[in-house]
Amino acid sequence: MTAAAKHSQAMHFQARAGEKVRNPVLQRALQKAKPLFVGKRAKGMAALADDALDFETLRTACEAIRNRTLADLDVWLDIFEERAKATGAEVLWARDGEEVGRLVVEIARRHGVTKATKSKSMLSEEAHLNEALAEAGIRPVETDLGEYIVQLAGEAPSHIIAPAVHKTIEEVEALFAREHGRPIETRTSADIPDMTREAREVLRQHFLTAEMGISGANFLIAETGTAALVTNEGNGRMVTTLPKVHVVVTGIEKIVPTFEDFATLMRMLPRSATGQSISNYVSLLTGTKREGDHDGPEKTVFILVDNGRAGLLGSPYQDMLRCIRCGACMNHCPVYFSLGGHAYGWVYPGPMGSVLTPLYTGIENALDLPHASTGCNQCGSVCPVRIPLPRLMHRLREEQVERGLRPWSERLALKAWAWLAGRPALYRWMTRRAVRYLNWLADDDGRIRILGMAPGWTAGRDLPVASGRTFNELYKARKRA
Amino acid sequence: MTARDTILGRVRQGVGKDDFAQRKAAAQGLLAARSRGPQPVLSGGLVDRFRVKAESLSSTVEAVPDLRAAPAAVARYVAAQHLPPEIVMTPDVASLEWAASGVRGVARAAHDVDRVGVTACFCAVAETGTLMLLSGPDSPATVSLLPETHIALVDTACIVATMEDAFALLRAERGEIPRAINFISGPSRTGDIEQTIVLGAHGPCRVHLILIGAPS
Ligand code: SF4
Repeated sequence: MTAAAKHSQAMHFQARAGEKVRNPVLQRALQKAKPLFVGKRAKGMAALADDALDFETLRTACEAIRNRTLADLDVWLDIFEERAKATGAEVLWARDGEEVGRLVVEIARRHGVTKATKSKSMLSEEAHLNEALAEAGIRPVETDLGEYIVQLAGEAPSHIIAPAVHKTIEEVEALFAREHGRPIETRTSADIPDMTREAREVLRQHFLTAEMGISGANFLIAETGTAALVTNEGNGRMVTTLPKVHVVVTGIEKIVPTFEDFATLMRMLPRSATGQSISNYVSLLTGTKREGDHDGPEKTVFILVDNGRAGLLGSPYQDMLRCIRCGACMNHCPVYFSLGGHAYGWVYPGPMGSVLTPLYTGIENALDLPHASTGCNQCGSVCPVRIPLPRLMHRLREEQVERGLRPWSERLALKAWAWLAGRPALYRWMTRRAVRYLNWLADDDGRIRILGMAPGWTAGRDLPVASGRTFNELYKARKRA
Repeated sequence: MTARDTILGRVRQGVGKDDFAQRKAAAQGLLAARSRGPQPVLSGGLVDRFRVKAESLSSTVEAVPDLRAAPAAVARYVAAQHLPPEIVMTPDVASLEWAASGVRGVARAAHDVDRVGVTACFCAVAETGTLMLLSGPDSPATVSLLPETHIALVDTACIVATMEDAFALLRAERGEIPRAINFISGPSRTGDIEQTIVLGAHGPCRVHLILIGAPS
């Protein structure tokens, strides 16, 4: 079992999904968020036309940039490392999450760090970095407001760009009251600015006193050995400006060649994520504090993490490495918005999670996820780097079959079907009977309320009845006519 | 085997090509070419576009005829917002005539208690209404970050169309890139509590731009 698999709950997807669907608080939070996400992105993309640009042209360009980098990733990593070192940064490598934890703790010890402020990094979730730091006696403080909320709740983020999307205002109020040592008050949305202010004041003190800042990187720019950080809150700027040590923890696939490539991707990333034409803060960080500088870290360390990524290169799943973590696929996914992110059981939810979780934690450890799809391809059609998410999920399902990982009942049913399909006369006779039987089950409105042999299927929905004749019968009748 | 060698070995295997030196030379050629992706076509003038976009991102804008008018504009804004007339500024704007304007300015990096920070900017991007600030001895990054109010002086002659143009200008004017390039687009914001947008998450909650050399 891989280190990542140990922390994955993805095998319990079905059970968790059931729980989530029946949780009214969660459902309220999700129903509120979905139209906002979808509407904002649509508006942002439509506005491209004002500047004679369009989504398809831009995403073709973004796809090409990411493909170009992945096609020679060894070369680009080499160039990045060379140039980052030339700026005075240190470049370290980590095979997996545990190695990330070891390296960060080591750096922290070397610099006498007791507290680290963190800007959102999904990789640090993969690595369970907060646990590793806490075990070593170093206090990790999440500073993205959403991450701060889920950290107080002792939970994991449920969305890659809106980590606390599953939390209602009442839940946030209870957490703040507890952490900030005050009584719980009744809150309405009019109080959200005050609550944000309260968190700002608490977190400001952490920014000023932490000795280490930990961030991810939205991109690594090879040209100059630079980390690109995109945030709206400004916490990314804080953790990379104030502490004396800055550690960038990021995946090896995050490289783009030039500043120009970065500019192209930036026309798509914020629009895909929140519909914004640009995020409030885009920081390009190169090396350490220079001579005469008043601020900036004295020590900058990049930790370039594999944790399963290299294995995707040259595989049928290489396209997945193009992902720029915008969240559009989950924002448009009917399954995600029925369940929320926690049902998926590991770091990445939604369609991209349904592909990444089995690939990074083992296909056998996340059997349900590639099936958690209606096949509607909403995700594929909004992905800014044109990742064919449904096709990749489909490929994972095929691999489950090839490796004999499907349950015996399903395998038996498929064998029976194959046997039957090889005998046309019998097949026609059987399907005729089956269709008549379904017709008989239906009520007057043409709906089946309880499906005889699979009542679970109709527990929460009706099945519309078929026409009453099989395809073969209809086809024959048509040919005759 | 070190982690580096293991990972790069795996990557090389996945990439499935040998000729490393040749490919590296090709990559370096690609870096030198700096080719751009699809470029926007901005209608209207750059200054107008910058202004409209900046305002749509919740920045406020005042135009003044020249740089000498900037301190008085800062003083007016600070008074209108009922802020104390004490500012921290980046050294690159310290040579302006602050004394006569009525604000007391000190040029240094910002501290937590500073309420108003005044900076210049290296250039501004019209496409998105964005400021480009470079960190350096004359422009500490904290001044645009810690105070609740950030006032930026934007020379209209320094407004370029796109981020790509801003990078080109940077390469032309500075030999080496600074530790931090900060693109700033309006006040800091968050939507993390029930997707309600609030200004002033961790950075400034007000960004005021003084456009220099524009007809008001
Ligand atoms: S898979 Fe595509 S849509 Fe989903 S997060 Fe990645 S880049 Fe965005």
